[in-house]
Amino acid sequence: MTKKTAFWIFLAGTLSSGILFLWLTWDTHQQVQALSHVDKLSDKVVAGKRAFEKYNCNDCHTILGFGAYYAPDLTKVVQRIGEDGIRFRIKDPGKALASSWRKMPNLKVSEAEIDNLVAFFTWVGNIDNGDWPPQDSKKRLSRSEEIMVAGAGVSPGAAVFQSRGCMNCHSLHGAGGTFGPALDTIGRKLSLEQIEHYIKNPKAVNTKALMPAQTTLSEKEFEEVAAFLANLK
Amino acid sequence: MEYRSQKIAYWYFAIALLLFTLQVVMGLWLAYSYSFTVPQSIVDVFPFSTARAMHTNLLVLWMLLGFMGGTYYIVPEETRSEIYSAKLAWIQLIALVATGVAALVGFLFGWTQGRPLLEIPTTLDIVVVIGALIFLFNVGMTMFKAKRWTAIQGTLLGGLLFLALLYLFGIPFYDNEVIDWYYWWWVIHLWVEGAWELVTAAIFAFVLMKLTGVDRQVVEKWLYVEIGLFLFTGIVGTGHHYYWIGAPRYWLWFGGIFSALEPLPILLMLIDTMHHVKQRRLEIKNQLTWTIAIGCAVMHMIGAGVWGFMHTLPQINYYTHGSQVTVSHGHLAFFGAYALLNIMVFYYAMPKIKGIEVYDPSRGKVAFWTMCTAMMLMGLSFGIAGVVQTYVERVLGMGYMVAQSYMRLWLGVTFVLGLCFFAGLLIMVADLLFLRPARKAAA
Repeated sequence: MTKKTAFWIFLAGTLSSGILFLWLTWDTHQQVQALSHVDKLSDKVVAGKRAFEKYNCNDCHTILGFGAYYAPDLTKVVQRIGEDGIRFRIKDPGKALASSWRKMPNLKVSEAEIDNLVAFFTWVGNIDNGDWPPQDSKKRLSRSEEIMVAGAGVSPGAAVFQSRGCMNCHSLHGAGGTFGPALDTIGRKLSLEQIEHYIKNPKAVNTKALMPAQTTLSEKEFEEVAAFLANLK
Repeated sequence: MEYRSQKIAYWYFAIALLLFTLQVVMGLWLAYSYSFTVPQSIVDVFPFSTARAMHTNLLVLWMLLGFMGGTYYIVPEETRSEIYSAKLAWIQLIALVATGVAALVGFLFGWTQGRPLLEIPTTLDIVVVIGALIFLFNVGMTMFKAKRWTAIQGTLLGGLLFLALLYLFGIPFYDNEVIDWYYWWWVIHLWVEGAWELVTAAIFAFVLMKLTGVDRQVVEKWLYVEIGLFLFTGIVGTGHHYYWIGAPRYWLWFGGIFSALEPLPILLMLIDTMHHVKQRRLEIKNQLTWTIAIGCAVMHMIGAGVWGFMHTLPQINYYTHGSQVTVSHGHLAFFGAYALLNIMVFYYAMPKIKGIEVYDPSRGKVAFWTMCTAMMLMGLSFGIAGVVQTYVERVLGMGYMVAQSYMRLWLGVTFVLGLCFFAGLLIMVADLLFLRPARKAAA
């Protein structure tokens, strides 16, 4: 091989890859319209993106898997912890992460900015991105959820526990949040009645309790989830 | 040193070394924050995000200063002429360093564009662009005036132009988060797996040729093949970042296939280096510089080639994307491909600028082996943490902090290894700034 041949190899390799790449870029632009739901990309969402960048959230958290790895991924954060969960954490991280060994700064984000951030996260959560991240995938129950469901039989209380946001703060077998205590053996400490009473109004039992009173559950759901928890021994 | 203007490179190198040290100090703080609790009162005023922005921006700045210094050292010898304007080179250095200082202080007060690695605000971006233009003008004019073109020069100038051009894609605000990341990777990926590879391949070829005395025609021939392969695989290989961002599905195929080929040029570079050693015509006077060159080729292969390959396949990347596995790859690849390359240039050029023909390698040797060993082990401890995270968080679906609690030990190990790396780095910086000529062997 001569130097001239080598030069042509360089030129052909670079140009072919470059042209293919530019063509795919053009096509990606067309398809992203639908994949990211550009029709729902409102001013509020854009304002939320600006707030996200203003507070440098991305240098602790990842979003779509990019950024720093110091804190949870935010792609599906609305789905995972709900709008209220997001508000609570941003507004008062000291309180929200009081029992966590890793902290989040209080950046004094305004109410309006928090609203915009929630809109932004909601929009991001709906991007059609190949069902990533796996831990938030709806297609497959995570292993620990499977164990939980199997252990509880087909329990309606387990379903309430999973679907009504208890796991945003509490965990079972390591799955769930860390703000509240793990509930793996809660049935050993509290009776069914005590649990039901506590869920309805935590502050009546413990004035320092951080847990909000669960006002949105129906009477039947109270009974079911309390029965489920009382059996965890 | 044959040309007076090569001296400018010295200050680029010295400042790069200082910034490198600062980068590692910030890195130690980050590793500490990963495994120990930093109280809320400190987190509120100096959050992890600020330290991380400093860590990564210092990395980019010191490496770019190293490349620029390297360029100012090489171009006179390649063109056989002085740099077009030494004054411009000084102005450029001052502008870039001032921007760096302003950016770092700004981060402390929350002055940021808030996009990882591209945090510096638009105002400062403009200064960076002006600095880059001065640099390109100065280097370009030197080459045009000399009218002596070589493949090494062409690759160097082409790489630097490409590098500057790509930076522009990181400046605007994008409304759409998907498009934002799409172009973010035009800067980050096409830098480290495109433009930077060109610049460093040219610098590497130059040092290789000078050290071994192998014929220029042979070195430049392989240079063409390598950069051709780098760009062929690297450009479309950008697709391995587009798997999960909301881009079309075909990126899984294009990204997967092209990036699986990405180790090829690195492997070729390694083989080519070993081949040149055998064919060498000169006696190698400074064995350490040579050891670093081989270390660079080997670590480049491990960090960028092997580690990159490991989690670039979509089926694996689905679970490892955005975990400590990425961190492991990032550290090993940057250290192997770019930190060691810069260190090699420092050890090649700084003694020459100081007029030391054969330097005393004893301290440098300790520093080199300490840093390489510590970094390799750091890559492994980050990697273990990453595998734990992948399994506990991604496969088992347990909570983020649950996974972090299992990883805590390994991140603590990383902190200790980081301290070892820092010790090695301090020895190297001291050695390079106060180089001693080798003692003559006892007659």
